[in-house]
Amino acid sequence: MMGQGLIQIEGPVVDVKYVDQVVQRIGRGPEAVIGILQAIQERYHYLPQEALRRVAEITQITPATITGVSTFYAQFRHEPAGKYILRVCHGTACHVKGSGLVEDAIRRHLKMEAGQNTDAKGEFTIEHVGCFGCCTLAPVVQIDAVTYGHRTSENAREAIEDFLELDRTGETKEKAEGNGRDKSAAAEIRVGCGSCCVAGGANGVKLALEAAVARTGASAAIKQVGCVGMCHQTPMVEVTNRGRVIQLYSKVTAREAEAIVRRHVRPRGLWRRVRARVSTALDRILTDENWAPVERLALDTRDGPVCEFLGRQKRIATAECGSLEPLDLDEYLKHDGFAAVKKVLVEHVDLDLVDLVKRSGLRGRGGAGFPTGQKWELTRKTPSDVKYVVCNGDEGDPGAFMDRMILESFPYRVLEGMIVAAKAVGATDGVLYVRAEYPLAVRRIRAAMAKCEERGFLGAGMFGSPYSLKLRVVEGAGAFVCGEETALLASIEGRRGMPRLRPPFPAQSGLWGRPTCINNVETYAMVPWIVRNGAEAFAGIGTEQSTGTKVFALTGKIARGGLIEVPMGITIRQIVEEIGGGVANGRKFKAVQIGGPSGGCIPAEMADLPVDFESLTKAGAIMGSGGMVVLDDSDCMVDIARYFLQFTQAESCGECSLCRTGTKVLLGMLDRLCEGKGRAGDLEKLEELSGQVKKGSICGLGQTAPNPVLTTLRYFRHEYEEHLKGRCPAGKCKALIQYVVDDGCIGCTKCAQVCPAGAIQMRPYQAHEIDPKKCTRCDVCRTACPVKVIRIV
Amino acid sequence: MAKIRIDGREVDVGEGGTVLEAARKLGIDVPALCYREGFRANTSCLCCVVKINGGARLAPSCATRAVEGMTVESETAEVRESRRTALELLLADHAGDCLAPCTNVCPAHMDIPLMIRQIQEGRLHEALVTVKQTIALPAILGRICPELCEKGCRRGVMDSAVSICRLKRHVADVDLESGNPYLPPCRGASGKRVAIVGSGPTGLAAAYYLAQEGHQPILFDEHPLPGGNLRYAVDPAKLPHSVLDAEIEIVRRLGAEFRQDFSAGRDASVTELRQEYDAVLLAVGEVNRAKAAALGSELQDKGLRARRGSMMTAMEGVFAAGAAVTPFRHTIRAVAEGRQAAAMIDQYLNGQLVAAPGAAFTVRLGVLNEAELAAFTTEANRGQRTSVAGAEGFTIPQAKGESDRCLHCDCGKLDGCTLRKYSMAYGASPKKYPLDRKAFERELTHSAVVYEPGKCIACGLCVQIAEQAKEPLGLTFIGRGFQIRVGIPFDGTMSEALRKVGEECVAACPTGALVMRKDAGLPEKGTS
Repeated sequence: MMGQGLIQIEGPVVDVKYVDQVVQRIGRGPEAVIGILQAIQERYHYLPQEALRRVAEITQITPATITGVSTFYAQFRHEPAGKYILRVCHGTACHVKGSGLVEDAIRRHLKMEAGQNTDAKGEFTIEHVGCFGCCTLAPVVQIDAVTYGHRTSENAREAIEDFLELDRTGETKEKAEGNGRDKSAAAEIRVGCGSCCVAGGANGVKLALEAAVARTGASAAIKQVGCVGMCHQTPMVEVTNRGRVIQLYSKVTAREAEAIVRRHVRPRGLWRRVRARVSTALDRILTDENWAPVERLALDTRDGPVCEFLGRQKRIATAECGSLEPLDLDEYLKHDGFAAVKKVLVEHVDLDLVDLVKRSGLRGRGGAGFPTGQKWELTRKTPSDVKYVVCNGDEGDPGAFMDRMILESFPYRVLEGMIVAAKAVGATDGVLYVRAEYPLAVRRIRAAMAKCEERGFLGAGMFGSPYSLKLRVVEGAGAFVCGEETALLASIEGRRGMPRLRPPFPAQSGLWGRPTCINNVETYAMVPWIVRNGAEAFAGIGTEQSTGTKVFALTGKIARGGLIEVPMGITIRQIVEEIGGGVANGRKFKAVQIGGPSGGCIPAEMADLPVDFESLTKAGAIMGSGGMVVLDDSDCMVDIARYFLQFTQAESCGECSLCRTGTKVLLGMLDRLCEGKGRAGDLEKLEELSGQVKKGSICGLGQTAPNPVLTTLRYFRHEYEEHLKGRCPAGKCKALIQYVVDDGCIGCTKCAQVCPAGAIQMRPYQAHEIDPKKCTRCDVCRTACPVKVIRIV
Repeated sequence: MAKIRIDGREVDVGEGGTVLEAARKLGIDVPALCYREGFRANTSCLCCVVKINGGARLAPSCATRAVEGMTVESETAEVRESRRTALELLLADHAGDCLAPCTNVCPAHMDIPLMIRQIQEGRLHEALVTVKQTIALPAILGRICPELCEKGCRRGVMDSAVSICRLKRHVADVDLESGNPYLPPCRGASGKRVAIVGSGPTGLAAAYYLAQEGHQPILFDEHPLPGGNLRYAVDPAKLPHSVLDAEIEIVRRLGAEFRQDFSAGRDASVTELRQEYDAVLLAVGEVNRAKAAALGSELQDKGLRARRGSMMTAMEGVFAAGAAVTPFRHTIRAVAEGRQAAAMIDQYLNGQLVAAPGAAFTVRLGVLNEAELAAFTTEANRGQRTSVAGAEGFTIPQAKGESDRCLHCDCGKLDGCTLRKYSMAYGASPKKYPLDRKAFERELTHSAVVYEPGKCIACGLCVQIAEQAKEPLGLTFIGRGFQIRVGIPFDGTMSEALRKVGEECVAACPTGALVMRKDAGLPEKGTS
């Protein structure tokens, strides 16, 4: 987002020498442009013109490229921004949990007018983020590097206050990741340090645990592990002894760290007390709504819910989930790490890798499910002196965070998959393209690559073989469309991320016009397992057409959200009810949104649908990258369709007329429906134009953008018809609802106190009333009411 | 070489050739707004889509390489519908007028801005030709026209409307006073004779245009002299009979015959006229029940019953137009209807299906806000409206001065615009998708090129041309998605951006986004 606030902030003085240094470090070629812009913005919080002109002067990058690229990617700001950047996540999970209301509350608190993005003091600049991938903590707000989960219109301001407090004490800076644990200690205390955990406070917990160990002199090693998958329980701490899990704690705070350490060196009395509390509290606390940082909970993996959560799962891409320290190369090696590569490069096992992958039935995990083996084969057989292998880590679907988790937790596995692919197709150079919204993933993969290079696992003569593969990381800059492979390649080349018509496919003409094998993170992460265990073993999992497992981000109105890996062909019901524990808060399961903005909404009645490529496509959705957002009866399907259209419309690259303007027109129609201004014939028009946009657009974004509209029209047409009549059955669309106080108001005045619009007159000990004309439908009164008599009609 | 089939016809294209090239080789007119030979396919307008090998999707032919054995469909209903949708989406936020508001408002849709540019340049004869393409009696109307066009004149929002009506009169008066008034070229005689009942403005206009088509008009009128209401109802102080006679004389010189003191119904029935002539036009002015009955027609809604569009009455070959059908006060409408009736009768006489010409295609810019108006009038001449005494006409310097006030609201690329061309060909409606139009902006820093971003369809041709020419600054896309626009890097100006290839960009631009300055070259020829 460009920070086009009404407030004029004085820009800083540009240091030309800094720009020169940046160029010196990153390069002068056209492909360096995004990196250079990122470095400039890091320093100045925006892109000062003076700096950009300097870049044009001293590089081969043209002014047209600089302006074109810097205005294409949402990451770049062209106006000075406030001191702190406050990012409001508008991912799917955050949206259905009220991110709009949270942003409204923040704007009220910071006294920002509509259209203004920086507050009057020049302190905070608000930006929208498509998805942080911390969906189990929804709604999420991030201020600089500090993430706050579970915001509501009521507690949104607390995040700002807390941040300012932390800023005063200097605790807002990201701490370096610790290493150098005592590997000889028998007891191991593992802290989940995926982004969700970090957002939940895992770094603080880890530091506190280390301090506690030091203080108590306990023989325990504090180990930072990757994502545990049970993201609804973050931060998670697991105590193990000689590899055996003794206890799993969830929602731990730094204050409780010492107690955990002491508990495992002291008599069991305290532990028993905690355990007793757990059994009654479990189901209640497992729900997201009750997330309260002060609440502590010990989980036993034998306990029902945990067992169910983990039991149905089959881990390949995410194997050793929650036990590996992401960057510990030796540990990875101990768990069969790089065994696949050794088999291929060192042991020279006679393996036709392309044939192996073809026989495994592996299909692309990034969305469309194209057979991976075919891609590899085409890349292999296209003659060229240089070939590339590219990893697509531009996971942009709101509601999806599988790739982030895999990159953060299993960076070596992804690298291993890429090495195998490179060998298979004959590539000697490669790029990992990771979206900039995933800083931790970028850091980890960079660190993992450095370690591999150090060990001789990458680069010339890797593993002592004559083979060489050079990899580098390229950071995205905030463009969902770059998840489309041709756009991604354009972005690596330092261009605007505009997709192009295929064929030719990247396998024929990809990066710099050379054959390029490009696969998604998860796809690569499956490869080592296939090489180790054989194609047949992989093909034996899942269904005939959709083999193996698939990682899903299970979020939304679900009791136990998280990162799951399941065999293909599992039903939606099994995922939602057995793994996810059903819909949270006793509400009714309504639908599952699968595949993000390219996918669709499958209604609860179709919950027995097997999750595989063909079934989902037939139902009008797509597998997509694996976001699975559970919706309940309080979710309006027209609003969901509008939400996704808003997303794709904002993310359209703008090339094709049908997508560029078509999505805008569709969004306008949905906006009118949600405002009760729909007209007869609108639904038919929606369907017709949706069909045209699908049929005529040249890339996956446009071809699938209407899917959320078409599936909701197909399965929830009655809701659209109700909107035509000016009613929103789910009570979500602001223009179509009213807040009323039912009988039973105790006259506590709380609603009147919290109402930001002055719509409720304070009348102690009398029944209160809400003035519908003044009411802004911010939902604050309803959440504040202690006797729950405020209702939406 | 790759051999492919398009719409059942076989064609060979060279190595790496595209389906679009193949289609063009066959002479198939595929709309490709964003394509230019020798440049990368922009795949932006998506108007060139075709169906390949019966697939589920449509593909842009400009970027689809022909592959041996390929089957292409380019003219199916599905393809046409997709193309129309793409065009309609391109039109949805288009900020521009094809035709100027004055032209749109004028019942005769006269090309007013063109006439004014011709006056400005002193080419009064050409201006007259422009006028007479739609208005048969400009000297008459120049004195009695209600000046509807001036109510639509955008200059009126700025200060006061251009004195269009008097300019038109000026052009006509100069012509009449020349002693050798302009006679439009007429087709060779068709041998067809058309009886026109009534020689008022409708009948005279119909005769004027019928004669040009080679048909012989015979005007019957109950009065001793032709002209109808123009002679017998209009105050001669406003419309001197000398002017009336002069313009009637032109119609006569084109070959029209006038028969006076003839009353249809009394001297001959309409049926009899129809039997004697190849077609009949009833242009008798307002009628009452008795008059209608005398003409053998029913009175419906205060007028004769005639089909809208074709203007034909229940009797085959008998047409009715003007106030005889719809009573109105504006002579300009009578003249406009006379012209339309002539067109209908001409079609009828040529044995074609009688179809009314649709209104000329135009996108409308509509009301401008204050900032937009300022942008629109940046270079406007600041002169006040030239006022002359009641019956006086303009002198030549006065007409020139008044012409200088025109804002030239019509599009600078009316003829060259492929968006308009194909929108007409595909029946695309600018109003199909309700979107707010883009803001009106106009970049005037370049000495020869005018840039109106509101008309840009983001095809990218100019960006590529500037890039290939290694323009030091050049052009670029700014932003993305619906906000995408073509702009100048580093907030530069067009004069800095296009130092070498301004004209080439104008030539390549598929719309009026990039046009040559109207004062930079010869004005375009009129179209309607």
